[in-house]
Amino acid sequence: MSRYLKAGSMDEALEVLAEGGARVLAGGTDLMIHLRRAKQEGGELPEVLLDVSGLDELRGLELEAERPYLGAALTFRSLHESPQVRKRLGALSQAAGQVGSVQVRTTGTIGGNAANASPAADGVSALVALGATAVLASPRGRRRLSLDELITGPYRTGLAGDELILGFELDPPPDGAGQVFFKVGRRSAVSVARLNLAACLDRELSDPRVVLGSCFPTPRRLAAVEELLTGATPGEALWRQAGELAAQQFQEASGDRPSAVYKVPAIRRMTARALAAAWAELGGEA
Amino acid sequence: MKLSFELNGEAISLEDVPGEQSLLELLRDRLGLLGTKEGCGVGECGACSVLLDGKVVNSCLTAAWQVAGRKVTTIEGMARGDELHPLQEAFVEAGAVQCGFCTPGMVMAASDLLSHHPDPGDEQIKQSLAGNLCRCTGYHDIVRAVRKAARQLREEGS
Repeated sequence: MSRYLKAGSMDEALEVLAEGGARVLAGGTDLMIHLRRAKQEGGELPEVLLDVSGLDELRGLELEAERPYLGAALTFRSLHESPQVRKRLGALSQAAGQVGSVQVRTTGTIGGNAANASPAADGVSALVALGATAVLASPRGRRRLSLDELITGPYRTGLAGDELILGFELDPPPDGAGQVFFKVGRRSAVSVARLNLAACLDRELSDPRVVLGSCFPTPRRLAAVEELLTGATPGEALWRQAGELAAQQFQEASGDRPSAVYKVPAIRRMTARALAAAWAELGGEA
Repeated sequence: MKLSFELNGEAISLEDVPGEQSLLELLRDRLGLLGTKEGCGVGECGACSVLLDGKVVNSCLTAAWQVAGRKVTTIEGMARGDELHPLQEAFVEAGAVQCGFCTPGMVMAASDLLSHHPDPGDEQIKQSLAGNLCRCTGYHDIVRAVRKAARQLREEGS
């Protein structure tokens, strides 16, 4: 039997984590599935379920600062419904609105999405595009990890056992950049993404960002595609070329996976379409 | 420690609730409220939907303890005394119920929608019910029921 404990303060939370045997509970939408399986299969239950959803530091949302900050316990619903997030972090706003169902978005959190480290995590693809750095706390102090360092593989993280994700510092593209999040799944709602993509374009194409999820072990920026786009002449031809290159990158990284038959053309077209949409948001010609 | 919360308008307090117990298990197995259904158990079907502080959640993905100090509304808490809630009434009138298994969850999800958006369009209704699966009706009459209830509730409010 697990003991539930609602952390009343950061110190208390870190103390409990340091003792070992605790699992962090934020929204619970992934954790409860694990617990259900453990119960059914006679697996081990965590000694303590540490609910961190009430900690103020995990609920902050600071978008005016030079480095905007998102608390780890913000729910997808609150992110999706926030006009500020829609304006400044469009890719995240759109991703948050496409996670699971309303039910899942009401409790599921952005920090939990990252900690669960699914290769298909919609929120994570958006975070990567927005240049997120995770802020972690442990009794030893604080440290920052890039998302590459935080999410090291499918369902694997670089978090130490006594570490807690407080939130994410962002390095978003320039103000006013066009941002989009696209997703393909087996149905249009409540599906695990077979493919997701976050893209940001500024008017000068000085800092373009393209992130593919569900394609690599972890959501990742496509450096070669971003290089192609940087300073180039915007337009249909460029978007198509970028799509071609994105598909190539996927093939090089993953070889002849069975899903490639579907994913390669899907990546090609979705990338081109997403870039056109991001550019259209800037008021540019498609 | 006791788990205390408000269930359908009444304060309750329970001893010995295991940490890993889901809200769904608590409602059905401990409290005997069988209106909330278990379909998939992993957050895909919405049959276990309840309101937590007025917002719809999957009770299978919610730990019972997460509702401590908060308000939970289940389908049993929807009726107004002896009268059905306008949403329930609309489901009956529109023929939106066939086997009925998904209906409580549908009603709870629709209730969240209408409390935040009194005059939703069809697209908005469909999106709000996207987390609730129905294997009988084909959804058409469910959407119609929600539209009907929205009208009714707006008239009550005006």
